[in-house]
Amino acid sequence: MTHTLHRQGTVENLKDDYVVFTMSAKKVNAKGSAVKIKRFFEILEKHNAVNYGDMKTGNSFNSSRDEIYKNIKDTSIVHFVVTEKREVAAILNELAEAHLGTSVVVSGLIDDTEWACKKAGLKMHTVEFSGGIYGRLDTLPEKEVLELTTMCGHGMVAANLVRDMVRKIKKGKKSLEDAAQELARPCQCGVFNPKRAEKLLRKMV
Amino acid sequence: MLIDSQTCKGCGNCVPYCPMEAIIFHEKDSAKGVMPYAEIDSNECVECFACLRADVCPTDSIREEELKWPRVLRRAFSDPLYVHKGTDIPGRGTEEMKTNDVTGRFREGFIGVGVELGRPGIGTRLSEAEKLTKRFVAMGIELEPQNPLTQLIANKKTGELRQEVIQEKVLSAIVEAKVPIERAQELFRAIKLVAKELNTVFSLDLICKVQKDGRIPLIEEINKAGLYISANGKVNVGLGRPRYKE
Repeated sequence: MTHTLHRQGTVENLKDDYVVFTMSAKKVNAKGSAVKIKRFFEILEKHNAVNYGDMKTGNSFNSSRDEIYKNIKDTSIVHFVVTEKREVAAILNELAEAHLGTSVVVSGLIDDTEWACKKAGLKMHTVEFSGGIYGRLDTLPEKEVLELTTMCGHGMVAANLVRDMVRKIKKGKKSLEDAAQELARPCQCGVFNPKRAEKLLRKMV
Repeated sequence: MLIDSQTCKGCGNCVPYCPMEAIIFHEKDSAKGVMPYAEIDSNECVECFACLRADVCPTDSIREEELKWPRVLRRAFSDPLYVHKGTDIPGRGTEEMKTNDVTGRFREGFIGVGVELGRPGIGTRLSEAEKLTKRFVAMGIELEPQNPLTQLIANKKTGELRQEVIQEKVLSAIVEAKVPIERAQELFRAIKLVAKELNTVFSLDLICKVQKDGRIPLIEEINKAGLYISANGKVNVGLGRPRYKE
């Protein structure tokens, strides 16, 4: 699934939102790839990630680092979320030197990703855009809520949970940081960006 | 999924965690002597397990049920931890462009399209997805064989799904296809038409291999069709090996 695509937002508020992940191809290079994916994890964990995870185990807010790392399998998809394009460039540079051989995908602003690729001496191979949302648009939650819920492409972050967190922040029952982390918990893959969520929640309260 | 009415204390903690708003909260009714409690609307529940995994029930009253065919499809298309037998990967789709550097699934001269029905966060009956599969099949467009939804097609000549599954509600279901770029406009027109017939939403995925000179031909086609194109997206950076050679 395109679980990191369709993150709603403005160019300005997407500037601190990049997901870098790796996976092997079932019919090509999956066999024995767990070791490479673990190496990817070891490289990425040094790069100031604000969340990470593998959907087979969980994310950094509902599982421990060791649980996630130990459970990595050949068919795992391991994700890290970082907040700066310079960090993406540094990551890609290190991954290119590591020659792991599993596929690597960056999800974020395309222009910034292209910049990061060039910095690392890489060329974009394949791109995927969001072509927008169609159909019964009248059933969608408000735009501000969508900017938060769409950070989990599997739809695990409920619109009502966002509204509940906003209510709790306003009543002083939750801090912005705690609310953002509560929203990050259901996103099993660890692709929800809690730092961006804090900024978006601040505008809503 | 169900909530045990005997043990539920009616705290309401679970209610906001349901992406489908399928947990109904019943207020205390003193006249009838009814205490507050939460109940899952099984018709709207997509078996995504978000409520159970939220781990917010103080009495462990949220319980997993044994899911039989065809209800088990709800979980298959909604719980990201469920692994489809056909794809061997968790989630509702395929590897699509994520491994394109080694699989060559999307080559120069082709574009990939994913119509993600029910996304973002609205959900869909599989009957809505059938409107797309029928339209694409009628146009002679080949649907991605690895996709879990494609595997539910009963009639390959019409794109009709198995009748027993079409009323099942899921968080999202993806119709995946690939066409020569010359057919892009025809495909986009068809997608816009189906959008008007749907009783849900869909998010549109558009995929293209970057040419050797750095051009992305898909962008011209999107602009020509007057479609929205996001500033953000996904980029396969070409580190997979062995690299697929055209």
